[in-house]
Amino acid sequence: MATETNAREITRDLDVEMDAFLSPSEAEGTYRDSRECAALLLIGGAGGLLLSPPTPRPKKG
Amino acid sequence: MVGGTVGTLADDQLGLAAVRVLGADVLLPSVLTRRRPLPDDLAVFQRAVLTFAPGATSSETTVWSHWGMTQTLHRLDAPATGPGAGPDASWLEALEWPKLTHQLSILAALAVPGADSAVAQVAADRPVDVARGFVRAVRRRDWLQAAGAGRWLSVIDGVPETLGLDTGLEFVAQMAGADARVGLHVHAAQHIRAESAVNAVSAGGRG
Repeated sequence: MATETNAREITRDLDVEMDAFLSPSEAEGTYRDSRECAALLLIGGAGGLLLSPPTPRPKKG
Repeated sequence: MVGGTVGTLADDQLGLAAVRVLGADVLLPSVLTRRRPLPDDLAVFQRAVLTFAPGATSSETTVWSHWGMTQTLHRLDAPATGPGAGPDASWLEALEWPKLTHQLSILAALAVPGADSAVAQVAADRPVDVARGFVRAVRRRDWLQAAGAGRWLSVIDGVPETLGLDTGLEFVAQMAGADARVGLHVHAAQHIRAESAVNAVSAGGRG
């Protein structure tokens, strides 16, 4: 009986959390360092877009 | 988690929930290789579809993810809970390219060859926007979003050649390291692109 109750509670909790898993907000952006720029340069080849100037960061305040 | 492993999750609520979170991608190998999944895998997939059906307050992506699973059952010719016309996707059409890419990436499981959904249609209508979103995600080091966007770019036409999608996908895989979800999307995209190239050569040879 206790096992059945636990299973019901787990299922209910999973229902609630399922939506959070399936519609996550966008991850916080972080920006690459010079080491990664070098990696892009090495494997970039003809992929010009990945090497174009970085997107402007939003101004704070 | 395929080829019999899924079937072992039948009595595990957490495992069933994991199947629901992965969504249609649980059976992606069967979809891409056009082979029927093992019966136990299919049964667990169906249980996840029925157990975690979306409710009235579920988000659009949750509803679409669930629809994608029912559509996968339909593709594999298994009894489903109502394949066919998908939910409303007009909310996607109005989004600016960064948000569009984020939402499409969440729904990357719908990006399969021959996908016929309103979400796929929105992606097909905006290849340049998705390409811009891919680059933005790479720059933000959001490897999961980049991988999902890259997967969409592998199934739509009109992607700018200057994007360098193949090298971009390699870069994302390299930077993401052991992230299995990124690996899944990147490998799916690379598989789809390789198959498209083979089909294009075959079609050219016949013509």
